[in-house]
Amino acid sequence: MATDVIEQVRAWLLARNPEVTGIGWDEDLIDSRLIDSLDFPHLLLLLEELAGRELELTPENVVGFRTLRGIRDTVLADATGAGAVSHE
Amino acid sequence: MDTTDVVETLDNLVADATDHHYSPYTRFDWVDELAEEQWWMTPDLLTVAGTRHARELDEKQLMRLSKWESINFFSLNIHGIRELLIEVTRRIHTRGFELPSEFFHRFLGEENGHMWFFAQFCLRYGGKIYPDKSLPVATPEEDAAVANFLVFARILIFEELVDHFNIRMGRDTTLHPLIREVNQVHHDDEWRHIIMGRKLVGLLYEPLRERGDQELRERLDVYLRRYITASVQSLYNPAVYRDAGVPEAFAFREELLRDPARAAYHETFFKRITRFLVSQDIITASPFQEAAA
Repeated sequence: MATDVIEQVRAWLLARNPEVTGIGWDEDLIDSRLIDSLDFPHLLLLLEELAGRELELTPENVVGFRTLRGIRDTVLADATGAGAVSHE
Repeated sequence: MDTTDVVETLDNLVADATDHHYSPYTRFDWVDELAEEQWWMTPDLLTVAGTRHARELDEKQLMRLSKWESINFFSLNIHGIRELLIEVTRRIHTRGFELPSEFFHRFLGEENGHMWFFAQFCLRYGGKIYPDKSLPVATPEEDAAVANFLVFARILIFEELVDHFNIRMGRDTTLHPLIREVNQVHHDDEWRHIIMGRKLVGLLYEPLRERGDQELRERLDVYLRRYITASVQSLYNPAVYRDAGVPEAFAFREELLRDPARAAYHETFFKRITRFLVSQDIITASPFQEAAA
């Protein structure tokens, strides 16, 4: 599931950054300015939609949101993970 | 720089805040419950206003939506106040903020009270506060003068948006008296914060303008226009739509944000602040101008 949806995340990021042709798995999305603090809520809402649940965001777990690998392996890895609030 | 005018304004605001001081903890008669089937928010302020959904949803569904949009609106206030409490506390009685520090004491006290009564409303009648969706660790602005300006510009933009809603709902006699009162009481304090905010934003921008750094001014212009847009987008919350029973909540949000009818509403929400920022030559135009054209 996570591998399928990660391409949607990549496509969303590329659509917002037309000058960029590719995004590496470990590229820091914030440091590389692919998203900034004003874009971030959009990304979070997209990830919640793809995960099918609300995602808890804390200073401790935010690192998982900063790379495609982190999003794939932690944020979208398990829709029933700890801290999840189901949409259902 | 001649600050006589600023000193006089701040003195008047401090005197007014002292005259109108109240305890937020005893100010309201909290009712036991608010029925879901009533208008919790002025219908024209709902995120569906002007769209086909305002016509297609029945009144009961719209009232349910108004409940959760109202809880979201107050939740956004809570998160916005948290940021401003942190940022103003960081600056009170530090170099460069000698003039407004006396007012900051009133400001911090009032904002703490506002945060309390907004949280009371959300928890008593919604059973929750919608979580903050902003990035917990934002990239810090290294230039202190720029950081100071942006903090107070963001606070002012946020307060102007909220005040538009408070004024409208404080006067709306179709709303429950408690909902009207919460909005009215907030507005009664907020006008002082907005006057102070305008003075401060003007003062903090002046040295940046004097640098003659056009690239910096363009960066601030773009950032603030994006910030205004991001602020209005925070009103559109998929969790609200889910709580209101709207299917496909994320797609619903995207559709509303794309709806050309919404641009005129956004323009109205920010009319005062965009006029101010444009008149001060801080931003070049309203961010909604193109969308509304």
